[in-house]
Amino acid sequence: MEFDKIIHEPARLRIMMILAGLEQADFNFLLTTLSLTRGNLSRHIEKLESAAYLKVKKSFKGKIPNTSYQLTQKGTKALAQYWENLDAVRQLGQS
Amino acid sequence: MNSKQNNKSQDQNTEKLKEIPKWTRKYAQNRMLTPIVLMVMLMLFSMLFGGGMAFLLVLAVAGFLKGNIVLGCVGTAILVVGLAVIVKYYIAFLKKYGGKNRGLIDQIIEQRIYGKEGTASIPLPKITKKMRGLDYLVGAALLVYMLGVNHLCMVGYIAFKYQQPLMALFFVPCFVFEYYYLLRPKVGPIVLLWPILYAIHAILILAGVPLFFTGYMRFWNMFIPLVGYFLLAYMIGHLYSRYALKKLKGLTHLEGDAVNGV
Repeated sequence: MEFDKIIHEPARLRIMMILAGLEQADFNFLLTTLSLTRGNLSRHIEKLESAAYLKVKKSFKGKIPNTSYQLTQKGTKALAQYWENLDAVRQLGQS
Repeated sequence: MNSKQNNKSQDQNTEKLKEIPKWTRKYAQNRMLTPIVLMVMLMLFSMLFGGGMAFLLVLAVAGFLKGNIVLGCVGTAILVVGLAVIVKYYIAFLKKYGGKNRGLIDQIIEQRIYGKEGTASIPLPKITKKMRGLDYLVGAALLVYMLGVNHLCMVGYIAFKYQQPLMALFFVPCFVFEYYYLLRPKVGPIVLLWPILYAIHAILILAGVPLFFTGYMRFWNMFIPLVGYFLLAYMIGHLYSRYALKKLKGLTHLEGDAVNGV
Protein backbone atom coordinates (compact mmCIF):
# COMPACT_ATOMS: atom_id res chain seq x y z
CA MET A 1 0.00 0.00 0.00
CA GLU A 2 1.48 3.34 -1.00
CA PHE A 3 0.78 6.73 0.46
CA ASP A 4 0.29 9.78 -1.70
CA LYS A 5 3.61 11.54 -1.14
CA ILE A 6 2.16 14.94 -1.91
CA ILE A 7 -0.43 14.68 0.84
CA HIS A 8 1.72 12.73 3.28
CA GLU A 9 3.89 15.76 4.01
CA PRO A 10 2.58 17.22 7.36
CA ALA A 11 2.09 20.83 6.25
CA ARG A 12 0.34 19.85 3.02
CA LEU A 13 -1.87 17.36 4.85
CA ARG A 14 -2.95 20.17 7.17
CA ILE A 15 -3.63 22.52 4.28
CA MET A 16 -5.80 19.87 2.65
CA MET A 17 -7.62 19.15 5.92
CA ILE A 18 -8.34 22.85 6.51
CA LEU A 19 -9.74 23.23 3.01
CA ALA A 20 -11.77 20.03 3.40
CA GLY A 21 -13.93 21.77 5.98
CA LEU A 22 -14.63 24.85 3.89
CA GLU A 23 -15.83 26.11 0.57
CA GLN A 24 -12.67 28.21 0.30
CA ALA A 25 -9.98 29.85 2.38
CA ASP A 26 -7.54 32.59 1.52
CA PHE A 27 -3.76 32.76 1.89
CA ASN A 28 -3.92 34.81 5.09
CA PHE A 29 -6.16 32.30 6.80
CA LEU A 30 -3.81 29.42 5.99
CA LEU A 31 -0.90 31.53 7.16
CA THR A 32 -2.64 32.32 10.47
CA THR A 33 -3.64 28.76 11.24
CA LEU A 34 -0.48 26.98 10.11
CA SER A 35 2.11 29.49 11.35
CA LEU A 36 4.33 28.85 8.31
CA THR A 37 6.39 31.48 6.55
CA ARG A 38 4.87 33.03 3.41
CA GLY A 39 7.49 31.41 1.20
CA ASN A 40 6.99 27.97 2.69
CA LEU A 41 3.24 28.16 2.43
CA SER A 42 3.48 29.32 -1.19
CA ARG A 43 5.69 26.38 -2.10
CA HIS A 44 3.35 23.88 -0.43
CA ILE A 45 0.40 25.41 -2.23
CA GLU A 46 2.23 25.29 -5.56
CA LYS A 47 2.85 21.57 -5.09
CA LEU A 48 -0.78 20.91 -4.29
CA GLU A 49 -1.88 23.08 -7.19
CA SER A 50 0.43 21.33 -9.64
CA ALA A 51 -1.08 18.00 -8.53
CA ALA A 52 -4.50 19.56 -9.29
CA TYR A 53 -5.59 19.05 -5.68
CA LEU A 54 -6.25 22.77 -5.25
CA LYS A 55 -7.96 25.40 -7.31
CA VAL A 56 -6.77 29.00 -7.04
CA LYS A 57 -9.27 31.83 -7.27
CA LYS A 58 -8.07 35.43 -7.58
CA SER A 59 -10.52 38.20 -6.85
CA PHE A 60 -10.90 41.60 -5.25
CA LYS A 61 -12.34 42.28 -1.81
CA GLY A 62 -13.40 45.87 -2.19
CA LYS A 63 -10.17 47.26 -3.62
CA ILE A 64 -7.83 44.70 -2.07
CA PRO A 65 -6.68 41.72 -4.17
CA ASN A 66 -7.44 38.37 -2.61
CA THR A 67 -6.26 34.83 -3.42
CA SER A 68 -8.46 31.97 -2.28
CA TYR A 69 -8.00 28.24 -2.46
CA GLN A 70 -10.51 25.48 -2.87
CA LEU A 71 -10.12 21.70 -2.86
CA THR A 72 -10.81 20.15 -6.26
CA GLN A 73 -12.77 16.92 -6.67
CA LYS A 74 -9.48 15.17 -7.37
CA GLY A 75 -8.06 16.61 -4.15
CA THR A 76 -11.08 15.53 -2.13
CA LYS A 77 -10.84 12.00 -3.51
CA ALA A 78 -7.09 11.85 -2.92
CA LEU A 79 -7.55 12.99 0.68
CA ALA A 80 -10.25 10.40 1.35
CA GLN A 81 -8.03 7.72 -0.20
CA TYR A 82 -5.09 8.84 1.93
CA TRP A 83 -7.08 8.42 5.15
CA GLU A 84 -8.42 5.07 4.01
CA ASN A 85 -4.89 3.82 3.40
CA LEU A 86 -3.63 5.23 6.68
CA ASP A 87 -6.47 3.63 8.66
CA ALA A 88 -5.81 0.31 6.95
CA VAL A 89 -2.13 0.48 7.92
CA ARG A 90 -3.06 1.38 11.50
CA GLN A 91 -5.44 -1.57 11.70
CA LEU A 92 -2.75 -3.89 10.37
CA GLY A 93 -0.40 -2.56 13.04
CA GLN A 94 -2.94 -3.23 15.78
CA SER A 95 -3.77 -6.81 14.70
CA MET B 1 6.82 -0.86 25.54
CA ASN B 2 8.17 2.30 23.95
CA SER B 3 7.02 1.25 20.50
CA LYS B 4 3.50 0.60 21.88
CA GLN B 5 3.45 4.03 23.45
CA ASN B 6 4.69 5.56 20.20
CA ASN B 7 1.94 3.81 18.25
CA LYS B 8 -0.67 5.02 20.72
CA SER B 9 0.59 8.59 20.52
CA GLN B 10 0.67 8.43 16.69
CA ASP B 11 -2.92 7.14 16.69
CA GLN B 12 -3.98 10.01 18.91
CA ASN B 13 -2.24 12.50 16.60
CA THR B 14 -3.99 11.00 13.59
CA GLU B 15 -7.36 11.24 15.29
CA LYS B 16 -6.62 14.86 16.17
CA LEU B 17 -5.78 15.65 12.55
CA LYS B 18 -9.14 14.26 11.51
CA GLU B 19 -10.77 16.93 13.66
CA ILE B 20 -9.30 19.80 11.61
CA PRO B 21 -12.23 20.13 9.14
CA LYS B 22 -14.72 20.10 12.04
CA TRP B 23 -13.04 22.98 13.87
CA THR B 24 -12.41 24.89 10.64
CA ARG B 25 -16.14 24.74 9.89
CA LYS B 26 -17.04 25.79 13.42
CA TYR B 27 -14.69 28.73 13.15
CA ALA B 28 -16.00 29.84 9.75
CA GLN B 29 -19.65 29.42 10.76
CA ASN B 30 -19.28 31.61 13.83
CA ARG B 31 -17.41 34.64 12.52
CA MET B 32 -20.20 36.89 13.69
CA LEU B 33 -18.64 40.27 14.29
CA THR B 34 -19.71 41.50 10.85
CA PRO B 35 -23.48 41.20 11.51
CA ILE B 36 -22.95 42.69 14.98
CA VAL B 37 -21.17 45.73 13.50
CA LEU B 38 -23.88 46.05 10.81
CA MET B 39 -26.63 45.91 13.45
CA VAL B 40 -24.90 48.50 15.65
CA MET B 41 -24.37 50.77 12.63
CA LEU B 42 -28.02 50.40 11.65
CA MET B 43 -29.15 51.22 15.19
CA LEU B 44 -26.88 54.24 15.45
CA PHE B 45 -27.98 55.65 12.08
CA SER B 46 -31.63 55.00 12.88
CA MET B 47 -31.29 56.69 16.26
CA LEU B 48 -29.41 59.62 14.80
CA PHE B 49 -31.76 60.24 11.88
CA GLY B 50 -34.95 59.15 13.68
CA GLY B 51 -34.08 61.26 16.71
CA GLY B 52 -33.09 64.25 14.59
CA MET B 53 -36.23 64.11 12.48
CA ALA B 54 -38.45 63.62 15.53
CA PHE B 55 -36.85 66.66 17.19
CA LEU B 56 -37.40 68.84 14.10
CA LEU B 57 -40.98 67.60 13.74
CA VAL B 58 -41.74 68.38 17.38
CA LEU B 59 -40.15 71.81 16.94
CA ALA B 60 -42.26 72.60 13.86
CA VAL B 61 -45.54 71.31 15.36
CA ALA B 62 -44.91 73.08 18.67
CA GLY B 63 -44.20 76.31 16.80
CA PHE B 64 -47.49 76.17 14.93
CA LEU B 65 -49.48 75.07 17.99
CA LYS B 66 -48.13 77.96 20.07
CA GLY B 67 -48.93 80.39 17.28
CA ASN B 68 -45.26 81.06 16.61
CA ILE B 69 -45.41 80.95 12.83
CA VAL B 70 -41.71 81.83 12.38
CA LEU B 71 -40.58 78.94 14.59
CA GLY B 72 -43.05 76.61 12.85
CA CYS B 73 -41.86 77.63 9.38
CA VAL B 74 -38.18 77.39 10.31
CA GLY B 75 -38.79 73.97 11.87
CA THR B 76 -40.67 72.78 8.77
CA ALA B 77 -37.98 74.13 6.45
CA ILE B 78 -35.20 72.39 8.40
CA LEU B 79 -37.31 69.21 8.44
CA VAL B 80 -37.71 69.30 4.64
CA VAL B 81 -33.98 69.99 4.13
CA GLY B 82 -33.13 67.20 6.56
CA LEU B 83 -35.39 64.74 4.71
CA ALA B 84 -33.88 65.80 1.37
CA VAL B 85 -30.36 65.22 2.71
CA ILE B 86 -31.34 61.77 4.01
CA VAL B 87 -32.92 60.82 0.67
CA LYS B 88 -29.83 62.10 -1.20
CA TYR B 89 -27.44 60.07 0.95
CA TYR B 90 -29.72 57.06 0.86
CA ILE B 91 -29.75 57.11 -2.95
CA ALA B 92 -25.95 57.54 -3.06
CA PHE B 93 -25.59 54.65 -0.60
CA LEU B 94 -27.88 52.41 -2.67
CA LYS B 95 -25.96 53.26 -5.86
CA LYS B 96 -22.70 52.27 -4.23
CA TYR B 97 -23.76 49.24 -2.21
CA GLY B 98 -27.08 48.12 -3.66
CA GLY B 99 -28.06 46.08 -6.73
CA LYS B 100 -25.07 44.30 -8.23
CA ASN B 101 -22.89 45.44 -5.32
CA ARG B 102 -25.16 43.88 -2.71
CA GLY B 103 -22.98 42.39 -0.03
CA LEU B 104 -20.06 44.73 -0.74
CA ILE B 105 -20.50 46.59 2.54
CA ASP B 106 -20.40 43.28 4.42
CA GLN B 107 -17.19 42.43 2.58
CA ILE B 108 -15.59 45.75 3.46
CA ILE B 109 -16.50 45.40 7.14
CA GLU B 110 -15.35 41.78 7.17
CA GLN B 111 -12.05 42.77 5.58
CA ARG B 112 -11.51 45.43 8.25
CA ILE B 113 -12.35 43.07 11.10
CA TYR B 114 -10.89 39.79 9.90
CA GLY B 115 -8.35 41.04 7.34
CA LYS B 116 -5.33 39.94 9.36
CA GLU B 117 -6.90 36.60 10.21
CA GLY B 118 -7.86 35.84 6.63
CA THR B 119 -11.05 34.54 5.11
CA ALA B 120 -12.57 31.12 5.54
CA SER B 121 -16.00 30.60 4.08
CA ILE B 122 -18.74 28.06 3.81
CA PRO B 123 -21.23 28.45 0.96
CA LEU B 124 -24.76 29.69 1.39
CA PRO B 125 -27.33 27.04 0.48
CA LYS B 126 -28.57 27.19 -3.10
CA ILE B 127 -31.54 29.51 -2.94
CA THR B 128 -34.14 29.16 -5.67
CA LYS B 129 -36.07 32.17 -6.94
CA LYS B 130 -39.18 30.72 -5.30
CA MET B 131 -37.40 30.51 -1.96
CA ARG B 132 -36.05 34.04 -2.29
CA GLY B 133 -39.57 35.27 -3.11
CA LEU B 134 -40.93 33.44 -0.07
CA ASP B 135 -38.22 35.06 2.06
CA TYR B 136 -39.25 38.56 0.92
CA LEU B 137 -42.92 37.69 1.46
CA VAL B 138 -42.27 36.45 5.01
CA GLY B 139 -40.16 39.56 5.71
CA ALA B 140 -42.92 41.87 4.46
CA ALA B 141 -45.56 39.94 6.45
CA LEU B 142 -43.37 40.24 9.57
CA LEU B 143 -43.13 44.01 9.10
CA VAL B 144 -46.91 44.36 8.63
CA TYR B 145 -47.54 42.11 11.64
CA MET B 146 -45.09 44.12 13.76
CA LEU B 147 -46.72 47.45 12.82
CA GLY B 148 -50.16 45.89 13.37
CA VAL B 149 -49.32 44.67 16.87
CA ASN B 150 -47.75 48.04 17.65
CA HIS B 151 -50.86 49.85 16.45
CA LEU B 152 -53.24 47.59 18.42
CA CYS B 153 -51.18 48.29 21.55
CA MET B 154 -51.22 52.04 20.90
CA VAL B 155 -55.00 52.14 20.53
CA GLY B 156 -55.42 50.03 23.64
CA TYR B 157 -56.75 46.75 22.21
CA ILE B 158 -53.77 44.83 23.51
CA ALA B 159 -51.84 45.46 26.72
CA PHE B 160 -48.26 46.60 26.07
CA LYS B 161 -46.89 43.72 28.11
CA TYR B 162 -48.18 41.27 25.47
CA GLN B 163 -46.37 43.06 22.65
CA GLN B 164 -43.25 40.91 22.95
CA PRO B 165 -45.07 37.52 23.23
CA LEU B 166 -47.17 38.44 20.18
CA MET B 167 -44.04 39.39 18.27
CA ALA B 168 -42.41 36.09 19.32
CA LEU B 169 -45.36 34.20 17.86
CA PHE B 170 -44.35 35.37 14.37
CA PHE B 171 -40.63 36.11 14.70
CA VAL B 172 -39.51 32.79 16.23
CA PRO B 173 -40.87 30.48 13.46
CA CYS B 174 -39.80 33.03 10.83
CA PHE B 175 -36.21 33.03 11.99
CA VAL B 176 -36.09 29.25 12.35
CA PHE B 177 -37.36 29.00 8.74
CA GLU B 178 -34.74 31.55 7.66
CA TYR B 179 -31.99 29.61 9.39
CA TYR B 180 -32.85 26.17 8.02
CA TYR B 181 -33.57 27.22 4.45
CA LEU B 182 -31.48 30.31 3.84
CA LEU B 183 -28.54 30.49 6.25
CA ARG B 184 -27.45 26.93 6.96
CA PRO B 185 -24.65 25.75 6.64
CA LYS B 186 -22.92 29.14 6.20
CA VAL B 187 -24.01 30.20 9.67
CA GLY B 188 -23.71 27.91 12.69
CA PRO B 189 -26.61 26.78 14.89
CA ILE B 190 -25.53 29.14 17.69
CA VAL B 191 -27.63 31.89 16.04
CA LEU B 192 -30.70 29.86 17.00
CA LEU B 193 -30.04 31.11 20.53
CA TRP B 194 -31.61 34.36 19.33
CA PRO B 195 -35.14 33.01 18.74
CA ILE B 196 -34.79 30.57 21.65
CA LEU B 197 -34.03 33.37 24.13
CA TYR B 198 -36.75 35.53 22.60
CA ALA B 199 -39.26 32.66 22.99
CA ILE B 200 -38.19 32.04 26.61
CA HIS B 201 -38.65 35.76 27.29
CA ALA B 202 -42.20 35.58 25.88
CA ILE B 203 -43.05 32.47 27.89
CA LEU B 204 -41.81 34.10 31.09
CA ILE B 205 -43.98 37.17 30.45
CA LEU B 206 -47.02 34.94 29.89
CA ALA B 207 -46.15 33.09 33.12
CA GLY B 208 -46.36 36.38 34.98
CA VAL B 209 -42.71 37.41 35.24
CA PRO B 210 -42.51 41.21 34.83
CA LEU B 211 -39.97 41.22 32.00
CA PHE B 212 -41.44 44.24 30.27
CA PHE B 213 -41.21 47.99 30.38
CA THR B 214 -43.91 50.34 31.61
CA GLY B 215 -44.32 54.09 31.24
CA TYR B 216 -42.54 55.83 28.39
CA MET B 217 -40.30 52.81 27.72
CA ARG B 218 -43.33 50.55 27.03
CA PHE B 219 -43.01 51.31 23.31
CA TRP B 220 -39.71 49.40 23.30
CA ASN B 221 -41.05 46.10 24.70
CA MET B 222 -40.78 44.44 21.31
CA PHE B 223 -37.46 45.83 20.10
CA ILE B 224 -35.14 45.91 23.08
CA PRO B 225 -35.32 42.12 23.64
CA LEU B 226 -35.06 41.59 19.87
CA VAL B 227 -31.85 43.59 19.54
CA GLY B 228 -30.53 42.54 22.96
CA TYR B 229 -30.86 38.81 22.31
CA PHE B 230 -29.46 39.27 18.79
CA LEU B 231 -26.34 40.90 20.23
CA LEU B 232 -26.06 38.27 22.97
CA ALA B 233 -26.45 35.28 20.62
CA TYR B 234 -24.06 36.67 18.02
CA MET B 235 -21.52 37.65 20.67
CA ILE B 236 -21.58 34.08 22.02
CA GLY B 237 -21.06 32.92 18.43
CA HIS B 238 -18.11 35.27 18.07
CA LEU B 239 -16.52 34.02 21.30
CA TYR B 240 -17.03 30.45 20.12
CA SER B 241 -15.22 31.28 16.87
CA ARG B 242 -12.24 32.49 18.96
CA TYR B 243 -12.27 29.19 20.83
CA ALA B 244 -12.53 27.23 17.55
CA LEU B 245 -9.60 29.16 16.07
CA LYS B 246 -7.47 28.45 19.14
CA LYS B 247 -8.38 24.77 18.94
CA LEU B 248 -7.63 24.76 15.19
CA LYS B 249 -4.23 26.36 15.69
CA GLY B 250 -3.45 23.72 18.30
CA LEU B 251 -4.36 20.96 15.84
CA THR B 252 -2.45 22.38 12.89
CA HIS B 253 0.63 23.45 14.80
CA LEU B 254 3.82 22.08 13.24
CA GLU B 255 7.11 21.60 15.01
CA GLY B 256 10.74 21.05 14.00
CA ASP B 257 11.52 19.81 10.49
CA ALA B 258 7.87 19.54 9.56
CA VAL B 259 7.71 23.34 9.37
CA ASN B 260 10.33 23.49 6.64
CA GLY B 261 9.65 20.24 4.79
CA VAL B 262 8.59 20.89 1.18
